Amino acid sequence: MTTALAPARPEAVAGQATLGALAAREMRRFVVNPIFLFAVVMTAWTTWDGRKAPANAVGTGNWYPVIFLGGFGMMATFWLSRSMRNSEPVVGVTPTTLPARTAALCAVAVVPFGCGVLTLFAFLHFHPVGAQVYGAFSPPAQVAVLVGQIVVPSLSGPLLGVALGRWVRFPGAALVLFLVIYGWVNVATWGSLSHPDSAAFTALRLFSPFAFFTYMENVADVTTWRGSPWFFIGWQLALCATAVLVALLRGAEGRVRFRVTRTLQIVLVVAAIMLVLAARGGFTHAVHA
Amino acid sequence: MMVRSMLRAGAWPAFTGVSGAAVVVGGCGVAFPAAATVLFPIAFTLLAAAAAFVLDEPASLVVDVTPTGPVPRTAIRSLALLAPLAAGAVLMLAGALRGLALPWAATGLALAGNVVLGFAVACVARTRTGEPGATASAAVVLILMAPSLLPQVARRVSTFPASGGDGLSSNTVWWTVLAVCVVGVAVSVNGRPLPRRLPGTGITMGRDLTS
Repeated sequence: MTTALAPARPEAVAGQATLGALAAREMRRFVVNPIFLFAVVMTAWTTWDGRKAPANAVGTGNWYPVIFLGGFGMMATFWLSRSMRNSEPVVGVTPTTLPARTAALCAVAVVPFGCGVLTLFAFLHFHPVGAQVYGAFSPPAQVAVLVGQIVVPSLSGPLLGVALGRWVRFPGAALVLFLVIYGWVNVATWGSLSHPDSAAFTALRLFSPFAFFTYMENVADVTTWRGSPWFFIGWQLALCATAVLVALLRGAEGRVRFRVTRTLQIVLVVAAIMLVLAARGGFTHAVHA
Repeated sequence: MMVRSMLRAGAWPAFTGVSGAAVVVGGCGVAFPAAATVLFPIAFTLLAAAAAFVLDEPASLVVDVTPTGPVPRTAIRSLALLAPLAAGAVLMLAGALRGLALPWAATGLALAGNVVLGFAVACVARTRTGEPGATASAAVVLILMAPSLLPQVARRVSTFPASGGDGLSSNTVWWTVLAVCVVGVAVSVNGRPLPRRLPGTGITMGRDLTS
């Protein structure tokens, strides 16, 4: 058995080294991408600018990291994925497979994810946990709300951009998807505004890569909506995994394709379970405070 | 004959795809009146992005050196702007029938302004590349979504009549934009440089090869 495995080890090590080198190269390209740099600057500015706006703390105040790190990060990785399309005849004959190159691109999402974590710390510094603006959630749930609104979208947006870049040829696809998701989040949230106790509208609001959990009409009147922020994070992470697997599916052949497809099926089931749990969890009705 | 062939050569899949997305988003605005003031600006932005693809010319290296100048070519392609304008008009009509309380004259002006802005940016970008659609639409979307994404901008400029900003009104913004766009289109079309010749060879080359 040792004899059988021994020749495979150097290949696996070489594969990991190649993946690491590719990921590092893609990361260097990504961090100098003007769209990403713009997103980082705007995130920092809006976080700093919103430090004295407690009325919007977990409402519109959290909209900006998802727009810039998530939305603009998606556009940046979309264009990063597409940038090698013209070189495909040359790159395609190298020993590195397309899924390996896609995996390297997906690794790039660590950078906006890190920026999201830093933004979370900055946000918690300016708006400490326990404030009234977080509604009726317990302190750990308040952090979960912020993680779901700031950190995870910073990861899921760029991953979605890679998947989109791998499958869609239209150069404006990321822009269109950005606008469609932006519109969808607005539409899905409006239902909870008018019917805060409705289970159907809660499910609709959470059927989205980003969701609000509280609504503040003024400083004294905070409504905490239904839904579990913890399971919502699970739903978001399942969406991240879906994006990675869909991206890896492009160019995958044989055994790799089978494994990716099988894993994708499992992840989709997990995502559905997480969505149901997120919609049914949390408070049984909207809480006004 | 020329009109038909000029129109046929455009990037219609992108154009119709983005216009279709705009109709879907705007349709949601009609279906959910409470969200109309958010979804209509997004739909108009998508129509502006679609208008930015009107001048895409995949065969620009060949087309740019034909005797037909940029003015007639741009004029013919501008006919395609009727499609996003019509799509926006249909959305507005549906909204009016549904009972949306929007100032329709100002909304119509905003629609025209959005579409003309997309076309004008594409005209300017067309002086540098044969397929300006992707770049121009990205620029237009960023410009038009800025008030929606950033309240600091929304406080100073209103790009949709119902957005309620304290700064420049939507009408003022769009009349100004229309005037600037007309000038921009005229200058970019008339001033579009002829394809350069390789020095000493007399060979005419497209700009994309020599820039």
